[in-house]
Amino acid sequence: MAELLKPDLYAQDGTTSAPKHPSLKGGKCAHCGFVFFPLQAYGCEVCGQSGDCLQPFALAGSGTLIASAKVHAYTPDAKAVAADVKPLEAPFVIGTIKLDDGPTIRTLVTDVDETTLKRGQRMMSKLVPVGTGARTIVDLRFIPAS
Amino acid sequence: MPKSLKDLRPVYVVGVGWHRYQRLSGTPYVSLGLHAIRQSLADAGIAWTDVESSYMGTGYLGMAPGLPMLRYLGATGRHLVHVENASASGSAAFRHACIEVAAGMADVALAVGVDKPETTRHPVTGLSSLANDAIAFFTHYALLMDQYAQEHGAKPEDIALVAVKNLYNGSLNPNAHRQEERSLDEILNGRKLSGWLTPLQCCPVGEGAAAVIVASEDAIKRLSIDPDRAIRVAASAACSERSGLDWPVDVALTQVTMADALQQAGLKPQNVDVLEVHDAFTIEEVQYAESLGFCKPGEAVHLLKEGAFNIGGKMAVSPSGGLIAMGHPVGPTGVGQIGEITMQLRGEAGLRQHKGAKVGLAHMIGNGPMCYAHILQKP
Repeated sequence: MAELLKPDLYAQDGTTSAPKHPSLKGGKCAHCGFVFFPLQAYGCEVCGQSGDCLQPFALAGSGTLIASAKVHAYTPDAKAVAADVKPLEAPFVIGTIKLDDGPTIRTLVTDVDETTLKRGQRMMSKLVPVGTGARTIVDLRFIPAS
Repeated sequence: MPKSLKDLRPVYVVGVGWHRYQRLSGTPYVSLGLHAIRQSLADAGIAWTDVESSYMGTGYLGMAPGLPMLRYLGATGRHLVHVENASASGSAAFRHACIEVAAGMADVALAVGVDKPETTRHPVTGLSSLANDAIAFFTHYALLMDQYAQEHGAKPEDIALVAVKNLYNGSLNPNAHRQEERSLDEILNGRKLSGWLTPLQCCPVGEGAAAVIVASEDAIKRLSIDPDRAIRVAASAACSERSGLDWPVDVALTQVTMADALQQAGLKPQNVDVLEVHDAFTIEEVQYAESLGFCKPGEAVHLLKEGAFNIGGKMAVSPSGGLIAMGHPVGPTGVGQIGEITMQLRGEAGLRQHKGAKVGLAHMIGNGPMCYAHILQKP
């Protein structure tokens, strides 16, 4: 069984609308209906309600590309790299994606020729191995939908 | 009903000063700041003892660095407050100096920005993120550039013309960090950072200082300040991001803030002669010129190519050189914009003078984002 690098942000299980793609751990405000990512208990960013109003809400790992950028210059923060995890190396691609369930996120995009990425491209979530040792550690990425 | 600056007593910029923005050096911040403040006092023709209140914008200098600098101007013991608001620290300092004078609680106030760059410490909120540690500022704006280019069919080499123009303007400005004119090829052929952005399409973050003195009409008369060189602060607008704004939020927030400032001043976008914006990255200038309402979305690149945003064009944008050439030492940046617009509206901007400038707008975004727009008007 693979270990999730950031289990507070995503889960292996998909949702009804995207059952084969890992879901993102978002939240929904029971008072105003605002859907947000990541899940937090501080308070609703729209209506300010807190406490039980903020409920976990699994967001489908599917969305639409708004923008992308290939990053050529990047120095990882050594303190931020988790044990047994391969540090991120440039070049890599970042995408701005509007999730089908509402929130807009910015995330690493993989398995892509960035020159072909266009606004409106359908994107799906995927877990990819990022471990260096014996442990199988996976992290979330988005890929173009085939 | 809340009041705007225009409902209170009039406030004027009466003195401006800088220490050149430059690469990090061994010069203490105290020297940088004192140089700018003394220049602003000399420009206004007043003494330090005439200043009743000081607002210091700074992002990197640590806790309360103002008094260890101001004490060398003389023993006045007057009010001093520090303002940290990311890139908009200087703009916020200026706004609050204006508010104090407009409210009648002081007749003369100083807004000063001073900084020496350090590694940015981002707040620890207790929440993790998918990829924020991989998204430097230049990637945030590379994403905005990609979105804009795809929405409007703009070519990256056309957007890079912002850097050609602003580096030329900076070559005319003795206070600019970058004072060397560069060709489009030089700009485009630089090391790739993120997306289409190369180093000369991004602002340098160095050290420096800028100071502005604001005063009431009473003070202008009492201190015999030349009223013909006093520039009215016609509007001050400030907003921060809220959930629900359209993406990209920097642009949506700028639209709201600039519209508020124009409404306060009773002006239209086409009345703006001189615009200083947060052009930390080329794409921003294009987008904020459109946010102002000066032209329709997608048209700014065409106006840029025609030279409409040059000094002497339809509206001079970033005549100081903007953040790309003037530099972005953080605390001073927003104060320095006010200084540039003041020089332009006085007709004292020398080689950078945009002829006949009567209205100027200074815009700044601080990481958050928080947004500021100030309108200055020649009386």
